[in-house]
Amino acid sequence: MNHLSDQELMKIVQAGDYAPASEIYDRYSGRIYNFAFRFLKNAEAAEDATQEVFVRMIKYASQFQGDAKLSTWLFSITANWCRDYLRKSDNKAKEAEDVLLSLPASSEYSPERDLERRESELRVKRALGALTAEQREAILLSRYQGLSYAEIALIAGCSEGAVKTRVFRAMETLKKALTADVGGGGRWLNATR
Amino acid sequence: MAECDAMNEQMPLLLTESLGREERERAHQHIENCAACAAEWKAYRATWSELGELPEVEVPARVKEQFLSTIGASRDSKVIPMRSRLAPGPRPSALPRWFAQAAAVVILVGGSYYAGNRTAPLRVLPSPATIQSVEQTPYSIAETRVLNASAISPNIEGRPNIQNVQFVDADASDNQIGVSFDVTSRVTVTGAPTDKSLVRLLSYVLERDNSTSPSRSNAIDWVRRTYSDPNHADPEIADALAKVLRNDTHEGVRIRAVETLKDMSPASSGTRDALIDALKNDPNPAVRIKALEALSNLAKAGTALDAKTIDTLRAKASQDDENPYVRVKAAELLSEIP
Ligand SMILES: [Zn+2]
Repeated sequence: MNHLSDQELMKIVQAGDYAPASEIYDRYSGRIYNFAFRFLKNAEAAEDATQEVFVRMIKYASQFQGDAKLSTWLFSITANWCRDYLRKSDNKAKEAEDVLLSLPASSEYSPERDLERRESELRVKRALGALTAEQREAILLSRYQGLSYAEIALIAGCSEGAVKTRVFRAMETLKKALTADVGGGGRWLNATR
Repeated sequence: MAECDAMNEQMPLLLTESLGREERERAHQHIENCAACAAEWKAYRATWSELGELPEVEVPARVKEQFLSTIGASRDSKVIPMRSRLAPGPRPSALPRWFAQAAAVVILVGGSYYAGNRTAPLRVLPSPATIQSVEQTPYSIAETRVLNASAISPNIEGRPNIQNVQFVDADASDNQIGVSFDVTSRVTVTGAPTDKSLVRLLSYVLERDNSTSPSRSNAIDWVRRTYSDPNHADPEIADALAKVLRNDTHEGVRIRAVETLKDMSPASSGTRDALIDALKNDPNPAVRIKALEALSNLAKAGTALDAKTIDTLRAKASQDDENPYVRVKAAELLSEIP
């Protein structure tokens, strides 16, 4: 099954055979989950999102156009789910305040390097968390998923111009947050070890 | 200056290499010749690079299991706590048989989600719908339900005809187990092994006088794995196993039951009586040997064997037509008793 293209796998699903479900899941679940996790800042919700996205993929398989990119379609479903989730105001409170850091416990990291990475990671998470949902969505898809502005526009349901603006504003904010304390606390500690 | 502003706005595009060739060249030329924009570009690149410090997180394996089980693509149907469900959809005409079975999920996550239903008898609750059905769906999971443990009473009312029992321990470290079965619908109960609702349910699974159920042996194996942990010991489980030992017509099932009892501690008097009865009356020598081993474990664990037990052991040790291994084992056990 793993030699088939996304489109070929989806054709099988559209014919009512769910055998490719596992393969498609393996191809995209990591990206979907990471996007949802960073977008929602909540691991549990990201699990729900991931599961729902793939269930919807099966359920609405007939809506998938054979000439479209499956990743774009899946991210559209994911982004929709996430926006719905965030719209429910009571879900805002569930944002995991911190810190689900999941660094690989690899021996190549010295404790200092590990600390540095963790600090950096924390700063990035805080900075991303300070963005508006729209900006965060755009930057996550652009920076972490490598999608084009045209694809992001499809997923976010806005114009390419709007995506451009969102990414720009996001980068402005992130730049301020992430470059502000260069030479400050964390860097200083690491520089003097 | 206006050019610098425009350049600024283009920098994210430059980072993602989304500019056309000409624009890109022009941007780089400007940056090379403008100190302000060069500094800005450096900051952009540092930011972009630092964003890369966010590690990828791994999707927990349970998500895939849930997904496959939800769409019915996994026959061993590993259902574990799920917080979201599809809304009911219309039932298609040609479903696979195993999927056409009504399905429901009972969840015991120890949470408060269904806390208001704590005293309700075991029954299927409608699950919260999370998406609207907007078209003909290729399949229906309308009958798949999520129930919280606290929604069901430990007292199983009536004698529900539960079928196709399966067991789930998706994450051995989280003190959550699951029991899946069909009633009029598919149900999965998950929760701590010590949860009374689960203990009763498992006892019921074990006790049901349905010795043809293919799930009985699995049930016992699984109970053994779960309840031989002293932290999970429960006399009701032991009693249920004792009943299996007395009543099941399949020797394989009785052997599993007695093996499980052997590993469980501490034993109730009901367990001990069942072991003695098995030793006296079970037609299968393997069961009788295991019963002796179980009694031996009891003795080692400090349970005093009463006169009736010792009489039975003596009778066995000297019974001419008894299996020689049984006789030797009985004699051994007698010699171990102080
Ligand atoms: Zn400039």
